[in-house]
Amino acid sequence: MKQLISLEINGEVHELAVAPQDSLLRVLREDLGLIGTKKGCDSGGCGSCTVNVEGKAVYSCMTYAMSVQDRPIVTIEGVGENGKLDPLQQAFIDAGAVQCGYCTCGTIMAARELLATVSSPDEEQIRHAIAGNLCRCTGYQKIVDAIKLAAANSA
Amino acid sequence: MSLATFENYFLPGNGREVVALLQEYGERALILAGGSFVHGLAARDLLSGVDVFIDIQKLGLANIVTDPDGLQVGAMTRFTDFEKVPEIQNDPGWGAVKDALSYPPAQIMNAATVGGSIAAVCPYFDLPTALLAVGGKVKVESNTGSREINLKDFSTSLFESSLGVDEFVTGLVLPQPVSGSVSAFIKLATNANDLAIVNVAVQINLDRSGVCRSASVALGGGVNEITLRSAAAEKLLEGQKLTDELMKAAGTAVQVDISPMADHRASAEYRSAMASVLTERALQRAIARLTRSS
Repeated sequence: MKQLISLEINGEVHELAVAPQDSLLRVLREDLGLIGTKKGCDSGGCGSCTVNVEGKAVYSCMTYAMSVQDRPIVTIEGVGENGKLDPLQQAFIDAGAVQCGYCTCGTIMAARELLATVSSPDEEQIRHAIAGNLCRCTGYQKIVDAIKLAAANSA
Repeated sequence: MSLATFENYFLPGNGREVVALLQEYGERALILAGGSFVHGLAARDLLSGVDVFIDIQKLGLANIVTDPDGLQVGAMTRFTDFEKVPEIQNDPGWGAVKDALSYPPAQIMNAATVGGSIAAVCPYFDLPTALLAVGGKVKVESNTGSREINLKDFSTSLFESSLGVDEFVTGLVLPQPVSGSVSAFIKLATNANDLAIVNVAVQINLDRSGVCRSASVALGGGVNEITLRSAAAEKLLEGQKLTDELMKAAGTAVQVDISPMADHRASAEYRSAMASVLTERALQRAIARLTRSS
């Protein structure tokens, strides 16, 4: 049975009808067209669906839409301002941290929580922060470099 | 993966409403805390007939109370908040809990809850193994009031607990470790985001001459249908000095108590071999903390 709920996503409140079993991921992609958040394993194992809820990185595939009513959600579409890329997005480009790109949005959303709490993370902190995000193309070195670069550019 | 169609999603505001819903829906209802294992239940076909979520986030169960007797931890406490508790960070007697919380990635730390990890009765989880080693009680509520269940008696069989159908977990009571206690936890897994192949947690207490007064050795990760204590290893350690040889022997002794499963993660033989290795290493890790804290 669907229920009418409101979700605050990227600063905008959306009223929509969702079913009890609807994941936040499904609602984002299929009801709201916010397809920057990727569907990978859809079972909490790959990290490509990572979004921020109240500033914290969570897997949107295992977050029920009804469980995050009135809790601010930010997706990759909400991280830049006025058409300007977020420092993390720019750093991923500059460091060449993208190959196929499928993991990129989720990884940026995981890194975003880290940089919001630790301004100059060391390599171990960075690797721990993205441990829940799998990259199947190249490994992680350039991703780590990009996060370091973003931290330096934001300092 | 998509779940089957659910009929309803409730967000009750107090325990009485939860109990009333459990009484109304019985086996159709699933208590939802962090939600990070619903996929795991569905993948194991454990949600057939379940079509109602009871989300307990509005019950105010995310609080942690510290007193001289120990910690009282609300069921909805997220791992990330539990990890930050100073006593968990600093008391070597709770070292196994700190260790267990160092493994999950941020996304799980931010979602998974203390109560959910206990109530799921999943033998592959890490925190329950650590909690079993340090000891504690599970607080549960039903229409007849509340009661406490010893952690040791909570799991009854694979994914089954001693909870009644109208009972739910509201929190955890962790007694203050006896002074001089040290504990440690080790997990073996295929990658940073996978369930354990084997995990082991130990808590030991030595007297001034280095003789082991008490020992608890807990194993999980599919070495049995439930996370368990190894009485054989504990008996071997108690009353003895913890030499390298004795810790190795304790690793061997756990074989008496385990009966490992085979699955896509590991064979029973591999789990069996690793249970001994990890028991010895967990003891060594705990002992190292004793040296440091004395």
